[in-house]
Amino acid sequence: MGNEERNKSAAIKTKQAKGGQFYKSVWRWHLYAGVVFAPLLVLLAITGSVYLFKAEIENVLYADYYEVQAQEERVAISEQLSEVNRLYPEGIVTAYRPGENESRSSEVKVEADGMSMTVFIDPYTGLSLGELNNDDRIMDKIEEIHGELMAGTLGDRIVELAASWAVVLIVTGLFLWFPKKMNGAGGVLFPRLRQGPKIRRRDLHAVPAFWLSAGLLFLIMTGLPWSGFWGTNFQAMVTNTGEGYPPSVWVGDAPKSDVETQDIAEVPWAAETLDVPLSSVQGLVPLSLDKVVEIADQEGIHPAYSVFIPQEPEGVYTLSVFPPKAQDEATMHIDQYSGAVLADYRYDNYGVIGKVVAWGITLHKGSQFGLINQLISLFICLGIVFVAVSGVYLWWKRKPKKGMGAPKAPPLFQTKSFLLLMIVLGLLFPLAGLSMVIVWLFDKLVIQRLPAVKKWLNA
Amino acid sequence: MKKFYGPLVAAAAILLLSACSVRSDAADLYKQEAPLQILMDVPEEIVPGETAMLEAKLMQNGESVKEANFVHFEILKQDGSIPYPMKEAQEVGEGVYQMEVNFRSDGLYFLEVHAGSGDAISNPHYQFIVGELSDSELESLKEGPGPDAGSSGHHH
Repeated sequence: MGNEERNKSAAIKTKQAKGGQFYKSVWRWHLYAGVVFAPLLVLLAITGSVYLFKAEIENVLYADYYEVQAQEERVAISEQLSEVNRLYPEGIVTAYRPGENESRSSEVKVEADGMSMTVFIDPYTGLSLGELNNDDRIMDKIEEIHGELMAGTLGDRIVELAASWAVVLIVTGLFLWFPKKMNGAGGVLFPRLRQGPKIRRRDLHAVPAFWLSAGLLFLIMTGLPWSGFWGTNFQAMVTNTGEGYPPSVWVGDAPKSDVETQDIAEVPWAAETLDVPLSSVQGLVPLSLDKVVEIADQEGIHPAYSVFIPQEPEGVYTLSVFPPKAQDEATMHIDQYSGAVLADYRYDNYGVIGKVVAWGITLHKGSQFGLINQLISLFICLGIVFVAVSGVYLWWKRKPKKGMGAPKAPPLFQTKSFLLLMIVLGLLFPLAGLSMVIVWLFDKLVIQRLPAVKKWLNA
Repeated sequence: MKKFYGPLVAAAAILLLSACSVRSDAADLYKQEAPLQILMDVPEEIVPGETAMLEAKLMQNGESVKEANFVHFEILKQDGSIPYPMKEAQEVGEGVYQMEVNFRSDGLYFLEVHAGSGDAISNPHYQFIVGELSDSELESLKEGPGPDAGSSGHHH
């Protein structure tokens, strides 16, 4: 084995003489990016694994809120809303969800006392089945960790950074994995488990990572569209070309009611006397929610839809549904005074890129193909955990006692091919690109001037 | 080496600052609806016992609708005491449809227009006063036409 190792390292040395600088740069960045982002990728993979089963988990957790006994007659929605009004006299009703089948409760979203609550109503009795504070919903928490580490915009950017750097890890990792010479499939397509611990450790990281790379890249690229920076800009750009989601489905504004403001009836608020002239109460009044649901049923929209209630005089009723399958998606805007359909966007009305993104999202969530989709995604998530852990373990075992053990790389501008690779990746993922510039500047201005740090990082 | 420094930072800065937004006319690139817009004209003062002219002007794609599929007027009283039958309104040209109504009693009323043109349907509700309001009608006005108001309890 000693001989073989020596031969190998000799072979690597000759290789390094040629493409060595490139190889070292790639290795160095792969190592640092890996060590920094491995914990985040593990966190994302674990929360993602749980979130794949959101529907199943919530069906069990909230069975008492979800399930109702189907009966002949439903109570008018206005009566369901008065039940909510009784529970939250000061609350503002923001959305109503009729329920996708006979035995599903209806849901009313209400903002009260700074909290966002969901009240579950039995549509056959009009009575409340109970309410949930949306902040207390465990799956919402997990989604919040997965999407923004429960840290708002900053967290969103960090997750996006991790996703972008994961692409850098895949690309640099593939360069490191790519066999220098054809020596059979061992260490390339399957791990060499019986050639000593060093080779085993390397292969248990590199080989599974290669196999997973397509799946991981898929999850990253399908997850990025709903990130706050890359996603919002990407969606806006694509929507502007006419090939994305129509405006208001993901980004962009909903149409406004085409009613003139002076035609809308005013509401006198004073308790004792009318504080507006009587003539101003003459005018258009909003439609009832019952009427809006009636229109939705006529237009044939997937029954899991929610109705978002306008909060402004010129606002519109927005019906929106993102069911398990992308083809069933719909977003509809209805004038709150006339019931006129102002916009009606179905999956078929999305541009080509919009359709691809919509499929990407339902595949990412594991809902498009049901159980098999969830299991494949779960497998990729567990694989990501394994690869991240095996990568860090590989580094930990290899690294010298003093220092990070990263190969010393030549200055960035001396390896044009590597610089080009980083610029391309940095432009595709500007947040990662910005962080590259920051790392590079930090290295130039700080690390290079502190001998101890410089030595430890082998910079 | 220095010459790379500037452009690199500048490129990154431009990319990060030039956050895109959706153009206001982006909706024109996607499927469009032709909503039926209805402008209602109800006299500001209506005296019970006298005949009042109720009007609706239909517009679609910025043009008046001269041959609508249907234009029906329905009048409801807030307390539900006087049922008026739904009636077809008469076209008088330029997309204006009208109906003469003789209101027999004071109160708070609604005019519901049911109109269709092409694939579009529109069904606005207009609130108006005849003569004087009763106390209970004033009360109901103060509660306001919430999302559950309008034709609540009334089904077609």
